[in-house]
Amino acid sequence: MNKSTHNSARASLRIAVDIGGTFTDGIAVLSPGDRIWVGKTLTTPQAPGLAVTTVMVDLLRQITAAGRMNGAAVDEVVHGTTLVTNTLIERKGARTGLVVTKGTRDVLAIGREWRYDMYDLNLEIPKVLVPENQVVEADERLDVRGDIVKRLETSTIKQVLDELSALDVEAVAVCLLHAYVNDGHEKRLAAAIKKRFPKLAVSISSAVAREIREYERMSTTVCNAYVQPLMTDYLRQLGDRVHKIAPRAQLRIMLSSGGFTSGKAAAENPILLLESGPAGGVLSALNTAHHHGIDAILAFDMGGTTAKACVAVGGEPPVAHSFECSRVSRFKRGSGLPVLIPSIDLIEIGAGGGSIAHINDLGLLNVGPESSGAVPGPACYGLGGTEATVTDADLLLGYLNPENFLGGSMKLRTDRAEAALGKLAKSLRMPTTRVAWGICSIVNGNMTAAARVHIAEKGHDPRKFTMVATGGAGPLHAVEVARNLQIPRVLAPIAAGAGSCLGLLAAPARVDRSWSNPTRVAEVNWTQLATVLAELREDAEVELASAGAAQTDLQWFIGAEMRYFGQGHNVSVSLPWRVPSPAMAAVLVQEFERRYLQLYGQVVPNAVPQVMTWRLTGRSRIRSRKFQWGDQRITAKPEMVGKRKIFLPLEEKFRAVPVYGRYSLAPGTRIRGPLVLEERESTLVVPLDAHVSVLDDYSVLVEIREFK
Amino acid sequence: MKRETFDPISLEIHWRRLISMVDEASAAFVRTSFSLLVREANDFAVLLTDPQGRSIAQSSASIPSFIGTLPATVKHMMAKFPVERMKPGDVMITNDPWMGAGHIHDVSTIMPIFYKKKLVGFAGVVSHAPDIGGRMRNAGNREIFEEGLQIPRLKIFNAGKPDQGILDMIGRNVRVPDQTLGDIFAQVAAGRMLEERLQHLLRDIDLGALGAQIRARSERAMRNAIRAVPDGVYQGHAEHDGFEEPIRIQCAVTVTGDRLSIDYTGSSPQVPRAVNVVPIYAFAYSAYAVKTLLCHEVPNNEGSFVPIKTWAPLGSIFNPRYPAASGGRSMVGQLSVPAIMMALAPVIPDRVVAEGASNSSITVTGIEDDRPYAAINFMNAGQGAARDRDGYTMLSFPSNLSNTPIEIFEQMAPVRVIERSIRRGSGGEGKRRGGDGLHFEIEAASESPMSASMIMTRYRSAPTGLFGGKPGKVGGLYLNGQPIDPAEYWTLKKGDRVVMQTAGGGGFGAK
Repeated sequence: MNKSTHNSARASLRIAVDIGGTFTDGIAVLSPGDRIWVGKTLTTPQAPGLAVTTVMVDLLRQITAAGRMNGAAVDEVVHGTTLVTNTLIERKGARTGLVVTKGTRDVLAIGREWRYDMYDLNLEIPKVLVPENQVVEADERLDVRGDIVKRLETSTIKQVLDELSALDVEAVAVCLLHAYVNDGHEKRLAAAIKKRFPKLAVSISSAVAREIREYERMSTTVCNAYVQPLMTDYLRQLGDRVHKIAPRAQLRIMLSSGGFTSGKAAAENPILLLESGPAGGVLSALNTAHHHGIDAILAFDMGGTTAKACVAVGGEPPVAHSFECSRVSRFKRGSGLPVLIPSIDLIEIGAGGGSIAHINDLGLLNVGPESSGAVPGPACYGLGGTEATVTDADLLLGYLNPENFLGGSMKLRTDRAEAALGKLAKSLRMPTTRVAWGICSIVNGNMTAAARVHIAEKGHDPRKFTMVATGGAGPLHAVEVARNLQIPRVLAPIAAGAGSCLGLLAAPARVDRSWSNPTRVAEVNWTQLATVLAELREDAEVELASAGAAQTDLQWFIGAEMRYFGQGHNVSVSLPWRVPSPAMAAVLVQEFERRYLQLYGQVVPNAVPQVMTWRLTGRSRIRSRKFQWGDQRITAKPEMVGKRKIFLPLEEKFRAVPVYGRYSLAPGTRIRGPLVLEERESTLVVPLDAHVSVLDDYSVLVEIREFK
Repeated sequence: MKRETFDPISLEIHWRRLISMVDEASAAFVRTSFSLLVREANDFAVLLTDPQGRSIAQSSASIPSFIGTLPATVKHMMAKFPVERMKPGDVMITNDPWMGAGHIHDVSTIMPIFYKKKLVGFAGVVSHAPDIGGRMRNAGNREIFEEGLQIPRLKIFNAGKPDQGILDMIGRNVRVPDQTLGDIFAQVAAGRMLEERLQHLLRDIDLGALGAQIRARSERAMRNAIRAVPDGVYQGHAEHDGFEEPIRIQCAVTVTGDRLSIDYTGSSPQVPRAVNVVPIYAFAYSAYAVKTLLCHEVPNNEGSFVPIKTWAPLGSIFNPRYPAASGGRSMVGQLSVPAIMMALAPVIPDRVVAEGASNSSITVTGIEDDRPYAAINFMNAGQGAARDRDGYTMLSFPSNLSNTPIEIFEQMAPVRVIERSIRRGSGGEGKRRGGDGLHFEIEAASESPMSASMIMTRYRSAPTGLFGGKPGKVGGLYLNGQPIDPAEYWTLKKGDRVVMQTAGGGGFGAK
């Protein structure tokens, strides 16, 4: 058993802290009982750890005040951060050198040679992290089998070191051709570099992303080296901070893959932290769905600046192995830097509540992709924003209560929203409320379209799904988006506004390893594969142990990226661990064909299955957690706050509907929409006929009647 | 009551829904396709038209080659198969370059869409087939008969039932029948998916009325953009390396109020090689140039292109007579873009871009360890500079083809890539410099002979500069250090080295 996570008799405290763009959120969970407390403070970009301290201190104070501490100590702090992402976006990383195979010095600068926008003559190309004068070539060469064509001579190593010493860099990335299959040359170079320059951070491609395709692997390795010095310092200081507040606590770092690892392992491969926040949101949605026995979900998360979606079936988050960071053009695939890391497969489907509405060249109303951001924010925030945003429209449609935004701590200005939308209404010669509904339905339509294509790409039917809505604006738009997608049910977990933290608390420890070695299934050398996987597993076990996972609690999976020989796209296959042997071939092909059939409707007769990359995943067992509020939100008896006029899209008019305080409704309550449920961090809007029930964990289930 | 009028909000919503349906069908098609060019380079398009075959929405990711081609294909089908006799489940097919997308490698399938037994529109899919038989694609082919199997307008599905005879006939004439037929089935599946998705929308919407509004808005936007260009007749030209002699593209762009016409009179006559450009393809890239210069946000539908006309005399390179070969039509057809840029440079100097070069490529095939292999690598060139920026180094334009990673290329064929680097200094000088081209060097590593087929652009005719900017350097093709002719097929033995250099882009403004 994972000793820190699961119960001994003594009370145990775990804290999750997630640093986001605007807010740093925290949740503490006290076991047994899984009671939670929530903390929130503004992010402190100059010293991000400061906000972490503030939130932790606040959480401990809340628990003490509630008289619940009873000698419990913090065992574990799980941390998610956008620091890696921001360092890459702002280009504030280390001065980095790059060592490559002779003849490939320009691979990074050349990229893949295609345009992410076919019609923009002046598109901006993302800048490389390593300029050409910081690239060093090594005269060595492997072939596709990893056999040596040109040996890495000692004299070559010396030459590389001499060139590096002239560059005055703080970090070095090494990426040699075909190092995904044989890491020998890279390791020798890394050892020599570390010996001569002990202070340099060194990243080698075979350790960071052991995958075929030199540009993408090189880009990943360079990103890792580029953020490493900064992240190493940050994680060390964070460890000290945590230690001061909670001396017994172990620091765990959330990864993009949906698992966490130790602070030490995170410092070695910081690029794996890239998308840890959004991963938390999905895990939280999965946790709630799992508790209610729901198998197929569309996790829908909508906040102030971004809306994301993720298709998860079978209780596991889907993990993709390539990602793009630091895009020049936010919604355009290909405008960023590719990174080959395991990350929960979610897509950005919109720009959130801050998306700005405008009239385009064709005279039509458009929403986004520009966003008002956190500052000045929507017009109704009264912070200087004058452009009409989705949040302004939501306010005018009655979906938001101007007196209850963030629990009433921030008043919304209806007059400012009206002024902003009024300008658009005037040029469109339409009533303001019509424009408000237009903005809301256009943004819902855009999110629906993006989600629909994503679901289609995954080969699923949305009618079998439940949407799980998180994020400040998620529950507000979820029911309409679900209806558009023909998804019949929406589930709204508690604490939507701090959703990613709940996910961090539900996350398992996890380690991923990979090994590219493209081979037809019929020709796999099973003995070699067994040796390689055993080595990877041994290495992964050490990391998992350092992340606090007990041997007996671990689950292992062998993954394979497969395709029919000659095809360009991979299909991911995953099997429970077994020792590779020739008998595995049939199982592998069977699983590949099952996935292929699901994605594409038919398998290809006479085609030859091939494995491009092998993967190993180890993680602690996933258990669903039923979190409950620790603070006094739950009121004794149901109370209807009152009635409010909201816009009902199907009737195309405003009507007064009941408004409830969400936590005044006890589990088992069943009511009928249309209605509104308010809570401090978000609002659930049910603008149509639906059964609304409060479940045992205070999640709310909305069943849209249209689909009964 | 179905909705027939649309305000600026409902039109936006329904239009987006249509585009997303088309994109959803195209996502499904890309994932099921075998064609490398479809998967890696979006060499396909999915289209929705109204009952008259006028386009309403086209897949967003498609390359420019298909602007306006599918609606024309639909109309050609309607001319042969009377609409009154079309049944649900019918699918028509052709790869006629003149009626399709410019060469026989692009196979078009068209199917009528019905709602409550009434024909309400057409779904069209065109894509680059994995193989179409004939000789390997090469500029040296002299007649269409050498290029592969010709599929005239046929009904390949009759009320949902495939015509096995036609399928067998196609299968017997291509190298990879499972893949070529597999892609045709994938096209049909994508069309059916589009029809199915539309049913829900068709309950509330009159597709004809919606299409009319979409076209009207798009047309108005394009007319407004053209009106902003001063009236006049503007001359431009561009040159292709050619064979015995260069091929010249001459264009006169006439702007009259809100209309723009492009006349290619004065261009070279058609040639007995596979670089002839049928009118429909010349139109696609001409329209692309106008759109990207004047109004790049206007969507690809019929309305946007109503104000644009192109014309070329019969028998010329942009209007060849049957049986002209056209497999390599992109090499010449894409030159309409720089020619139009040059023509409009005096009136919109802030927007035009100096000449660069289209992609080159190398295909290697052979047998290694008793197994056939085939691998292709696309190479892009330096692009031209513009008034406010330098030219892009090695970027695909005006098409959009990625390179093949070295590690994948070596995986697919017994070759070793010795170097892939920037050809520094190959871009033309100027106030703004042209982008640099590529230096690509490979060594054959197979014990058995390897066939190599190269497509080279701009190895004789340099990309020109604008406003006094200097031309970029021409590309080059070398075998063991000696220049060789790309129009030939070459056989490589172990240790042979091929160097391919792509051209640099033209500069902008005198330095």
